[in-house]
Amino acid sequence: MTVLSLLSLLFLAAFSSLASANSDYHESLVLQPLPQSALLASFNFQSNDSQTSFNERHFRYFPRALGQILRHANTKELHLRFTTGRWDAESWGPRPWNGTKEGGTGVELWAWIDAVDDESAFAKWITLAQSLSGLFCASLNFIDSTRTTRPVASFEPTGTHAASDNLHLLHGTLPGEVVCTENLTPFLKLLPCKGKAGVASLLDGHKLFDASWQSMSVDVRPICTQTGECVVQIDQSVDIVLDIDRSKRPRDNPIPRPVPNEQLVCDTSKPYHSDDTCYPLESTSEKSWGLSEIFGRSISGSCPLTEGSTDGTVCLRVPHEREVRATEGAVEVKKPDGYTRCFTLESSTPFDLNIPEQEATTQVPLDEPVLRAERTIVGHGQERGGMRIIFDNPSDTHPVDFIYFETLPWFLRPYVHTLQATITGRDGLRRQVPASQFIKETFYRPAIDRERGTQLELALSVPAASTVTLTYDFEKAILRYTEYPPDANRGFNVAPAVIKLSPAGGGGGASHPIYIRTTSLLLPLPTPDFSMPYNVIILTSTVIALAFGSIFNLLVRRFVTAEEASAMRAQTLKSRLGGKLVALRDRVKGKTAKTE
Amino acid sequence: MATPAALPPLPFNPSRVRSYVLRLPLFTRLVLLAIIVFWLLELQTVWSVKQWGSLIPEEINIGTMYRLNTYPFIHFGFFHAFLNLLALTPLLERFEAEHGTLTAVALFFGPLSTFPAGAYILIERFVLHRNTEVFGASVWVFLLLGSEAIRTFKSNPYFSLGPYKIPTWTSPLFACGLVSIFVQNASLLGHLCAIFVGYLFGLGYLKVFVPPEKVLRWIEGKLNLLGRLPHYVSVDQKTFGRYGVLPTTTAGGERATPMSYLGSSQRLAAIRKLRSNPHFLFVHLPHILSFLCIVAGVVWLLLLPLNDYSRQTYISENALLPGQVHAYFSGSEQHIFRGYKKELEAILERQTLSEQDSRNDEFTPAYVHFLCPITLSAPVSDKVQSILRAAGLKVATQKYEYTSSGITHQGQNVYAIIQAPRGDATEAIVLVAAWRTADDELNLNGVSLALTLAGYFKRWSLWSKDIIFVLPPDSKSGTQAWIDAYHDMQPAFVQPLPLKSGALQGGLVIEYPFDHRFESLHILYDGVNGQLPNLDLFNTAVSIAGGQMGIGSNLQEMWDHNDSYEMRLQTILRGMVKQGFGYATGAHSSFMPYHIDAITLQPKGDGWQDEMALGRTIEGLCRSLNNLLEHLHQSFFFYLLMQTNRFVSIGTYLPSAMLIAGNFTIMAIALWLRTGYYFGSEQAAVKPPAASAGETNKQVAVSTEKSGANTAQQPAVKTDSNSIIERQLALPLTLVVGLHLLGLIPLYIFNNIHHQYYPTATYASIAINAILPIALAASLTRGLTTTLREQSQQSLLIKSFSLLVLGLFLSTLATLNFSLSFMIGLLCTPLSFVNRIDPRTASRPLRAVLAVAGLVLLNVLSPPIVLLVACRYVGVDVETVLTQAAFGWDVWGMWTQVVVWCVWWPAWVTGCALLGFSLF
Repeated sequence: MTVLSLLSLLFLAAFSSLASANSDYHESLVLQPLPQSALLASFNFQSNDSQTSFNERHFRYFPRALGQILRHANTKELHLRFTTGRWDAESWGPRPWNGTKEGGTGVELWAWIDAVDDESAFAKWITLAQSLSGLFCASLNFIDSTRTTRPVASFEPTGTHAASDNLHLLHGTLPGEVVCTENLTPFLKLLPCKGKAGVASLLDGHKLFDASWQSMSVDVRPICTQTGECVVQIDQSVDIVLDIDRSKRPRDNPIPRPVPNEQLVCDTSKPYHSDDTCYPLESTSEKSWGLSEIFGRSISGSCPLTEGSTDGTVCLRVPHEREVRATEGAVEVKKPDGYTRCFTLESSTPFDLNIPEQEATTQVPLDEPVLRAERTIVGHGQERGGMRIIFDNPSDTHPVDFIYFETLPWFLRPYVHTLQATITGRDGLRRQVPASQFIKETFYRPAIDRERGTQLELALSVPAASTVTLTYDFEKAILRYTEYPPDANRGFNVAPAVIKLSPAGGGGGASHPIYIRTTSLLLPLPTPDFSMPYNVIILTSTVIALAFGSIFNLLVRRFVTAEEASAMRAQTLKSRLGGKLVALRDRVKGKTAKTE
Repeated sequence: MATPAALPPLPFNPSRVRSYVLRLPLFTRLVLLAIIVFWLLELQTVWSVKQWGSLIPEEINIGTMYRLNTYPFIHFGFFHAFLNLLALTPLLERFEAEHGTLTAVALFFGPLSTFPAGAYILIERFVLHRNTEVFGASVWVFLLLGSEAIRTFKSNPYFSLGPYKIPTWTSPLFACGLVSIFVQNASLLGHLCAIFVGYLFGLGYLKVFVPPEKVLRWIEGKLNLLGRLPHYVSVDQKTFGRYGVLPTTTAGGERATPMSYLGSSQRLAAIRKLRSNPHFLFVHLPHILSFLCIVAGVVWLLLLPLNDYSRQTYISENALLPGQVHAYFSGSEQHIFRGYKKELEAILERQTLSEQDSRNDEFTPAYVHFLCPITLSAPVSDKVQSILRAAGLKVATQKYEYTSSGITHQGQNVYAIIQAPRGDATEAIVLVAAWRTADDELNLNGVSLALTLAGYFKRWSLWSKDIIFVLPPDSKSGTQAWIDAYHDMQPAFVQPLPLKSGALQGGLVIEYPFDHRFESLHILYDGVNGQLPNLDLFNTAVSIAGGQMGIGSNLQEMWDHNDSYEMRLQTILRGMVKQGFGYATGAHSSFMPYHIDAITLQPKGDGWQDEMALGRTIEGLCRSLNNLLEHLHQSFFFYLLMQTNRFVSIGTYLPSAMLIAGNFTIMAIALWLRTGYYFGSEQAAVKPPAASAGETNKQVAVSTEKSGANTAQQPAVKTDSNSIIERQLALPLTLVVGLHLLGLIPLYIFNNIHHQYYPTATYASIAINAILPIALAASLTRGLTTTLREQSQQSLLIKSFSLLVLGLFLSTLATLNFSLSFMIGLLCTPLSFVNRIDPRTASRPLRAVLAVAGLVLLNVLSPPIVLLVACRYVGVDVETVLTQAAFGWDVWGMWTQVVVWCVWWPAWVTGCALLGFSLF
């Protein structure tokens, strides 16, 4: 059984401790250097309002704008994600928050809506999406019936809901949505301190969106304690992975020009080393960095609303022997795990953190991810294609059970009967096996053209130390002329697949599942040449008409000379009579024509 | 005659057009001829006809007054001349028929060309103070239109357009306006002058200039012009001109009076003879048409390099923005480049030393070295991987193995991905640096450059697409294995890729196989099966290299391109040869079948550009590709390049190959008609069979003439000659289909035997080619039905089907691989004209001699002999070529062989067999 990462444990600990507090506001920042000069910064902001005051429209910490939307759309639980980039699990280890606070590339939204039936739930869902679209400056209004699914097993409500509620889960994604500063500003406005104080003051659009990976989330859910006290909790988080080198570049000179010759770090032991020849040396030391260097500013004191919380607000995960210089006055607490130290902020005193360059002797251990998944489109051509999904279980002892959930746009028509599985052991041998060996349960809802997409949920199990490859073929539909977007030749985005690892299988005993999302895909569809349909249609039809007409004539007609034709006509009695009649008619006609 | 009553006549009657053209009067003919002659003269570059004869206001003085008369004959370009001809012919014909030839000469060399010219010059020079040259027969067109409009106005003064009444005399003004709007460079002023003079003429103010009838009559009588000149319209005939009508099919030749204006009755008879001569219609005309098609196809191709038919290249996709960014790849990166190069060099030296120790320099033939890529040892591969990994890239490897013609090609691709920061793995660009270039040289500098670029690119955060660096061991198989596996289409002995990215948007191949500095970039762009990358990619490369970096570029190994006609043609032809053979010209070629645009950049020459300049060019190209929002689709995928900045697009060049393919189709359809309707020597068949060819022809001529003479009566032909002839389709169809299927055997053999047997197989196939058609002919003659008539019909049908299939294949192929279709079409042209020599037209020994001579000539054009000759000409070994071809078939998916063996060869065998029939 894989040990749950210490990082995740920390998050979960913070999570549970905060969850118990009532009508409160907490914020935290966890910084963790990752390999390859990356730095993970996890911001978390959590506030609770009691359910009664929420119902009375008395908002204290809870943002009023969002609260009104939720009430209007009968939404009991809401999850909204904005993500760009991809998490590099190979270098960075397991995901922050076990992947529960991130979405697929673009925007992902799912919510539990209280409604009497599916239709009214969908109507409320559209209301919700439209309102959130305005609130967050995102194209959420494009979540229509074709992009909406109702997952069966992939998502569980995280809040406490009354059994009497008639809840409907709806899920929608916009994989092509570009997340940028216009989404960050409304996000920060939801915070009680609005990004003016506390850890949120570090969030600057320029730095945030220069990150290698970035995810923003908003979760709203009701939580009830045993005693029946209920709170409405809003949990906002921002997770970013920054490239330390890139972030340290000054803002007025961000171009990574080649370094001056004298600053090159060369391997002088090479025999050919000289003034103009340099084999670059890999530096083994940790780079120096500081909060103000990386984020362009320091934390401007703590948010006054967090006063009273005993936990450290800014935590740093480096080995305890590493030298860290914090601003005077901050209280440093070293945690017993040997890697975590937390600082409590003073209000109205700026806080900065500096780590000098030093030789890295020990590293914070990173866990092996529980499962690696990769999804790609294979094949080529305008008509057919294939989907290939690779699940790799790195564990040598335990199988992994998980639920694989994908939504496909309607113009990608999968052939589920072609679903095949191959298994590759550590010996590298590929074996074709029936897919049913791994698939324990299937939920499949086929697409309806222009109405809804395909929904496929598979309960899978990958044996220990092996790689399972699922493949299926699909057909690409031809869209109507007006259905193509302006950038039709770019291809069409296919939403990432969501993988939910059940807690019992790979979650290490924790009650919270682990989520993994694959990268989104680009599906090239047959695209007409929009620039010249007129020319092409006119020209081809003319050519075909001319060629067909003349060749057809040549083949079916009989060509005779004029004399032969008249001779032929003269021959038969019938034609002779006919000729006479025609002549007679001509004469009559000619006369009338003359009299006119 | 058993035919049912004739079907209604076609709205467009070709025979009418022909008769119209044949009836054109003398002066019209001369004018048309002069226009064509001047157009042809314009094609040469030595003497500018335009400069000599056009109407340039500033140039007019006493010595250059001739311009007032010459300018209507001169045109620029084919279309200008053609359209003017089309418009002028009916008007001028009408005018001449109405006024007589002499009057037309007098008027058109006098006032009708000088007056508009004078008016134009006066206004242009003295009123507008400009100096625009004008030329072209449109001046006459508008002049005649003007005079016609006045005449129409007299009889029919208004058009009614709703409540408005528009005077009819304005119609030429509308036409003139339309022409000025739709045609570039149309001189509005010139046309208006012409219309004005036309009005004057129509109103009769120019009557003064018309020579008096008496004088004309006197001249005509003295010189006997009517008797001497053909198509001459005499003063007496002229009034008929307006009301003359074409003889229609129903009228036949009965209405003798209105036709008299045509001149002597002999002329009429000649036309009728042509029309009623089925032998000409079915036998000679298709041959003439086919021949014309071939000539036109070749001439068309030769016209392409001219400025009028080719175009300047341009960037179509605005997102590319070539050369708009500053390239920073320089400075200390060069030190790193040298470091990587020295490091790899040291490892390679160690490797070669150890190899020499182990392998004791055994004798290996040259081609084996050429065919077997040097497998790079593990240390090199490891070093490359460690460098890439240190730069922060994701690295993976792929092993592959191909076996073709008994030679095993194996290797290991190393590739690495720069994952775009904030990217979502949906799109990627590929940079390839193969260890062996396309010319099989060690590409050490190229690989080092790619490694340096990898480290440099990794630092940038602006990439919107992943960048994949692929380092295959050779240019032939490595990239193919990689790209196949990338799309999961790999064969069994190629490993799948462990690491992938998104859809590939473009590929660049870097080659730098020498140590000195270079002068220019040679850009390779041909793909497998003649597929080409989007022209935008090529243009971007040329534009960045030339415009931003100041590096010249070449293509098709044309090092000294002086932009002359010959050089352009040579470039086109070289490109066509490469495209036609369809082999991979470099590592980039393998990308094309997957619709990924790729080019190879080869530094050439000895100049002052260093590897950093190449690196900056690649940086600029990557930045341009990075800008792309959509897959490259804006520009052309089908083009012929004649210079780095000139090209012809498919619309312009396609007719060339289509005409050549069309010649087969025309012949096939004509043969089909002939087998059904007309049977060549039917009349001769009822005559004693000893009649010689000449006699038969005379007979035909005599009989048809007779039928023409006593027109409406029963024609002299026998009644059974026009009866429907049953076509015996079974044998011809079986033979043609069978031969096409038989082509699969050599296709299989030439792709699957061991490479050392290729020369033997080639010679064997030559021998078989010599025997097979004769054997086929011999066995089929025995099997054929006994009557000569059916034998002859079946041989015609065989030829018809064979040519039909050939024409069909080639015209389809022309849209996919123009060059291959053109080349095969040219090589097959004799097949259109090869026939079974009719036993009734030639004696047996003559037949035998002719057939053997024909067979020998045809054998020279057989696929294997063409291959041998081509190899000898280029100086390559046949075995190498065939091994390469088999490799192409097995690895690249090359289709050239299929075209050769399943399209060309069956058609060729059929042609030979037809000749062979004559022997028996």
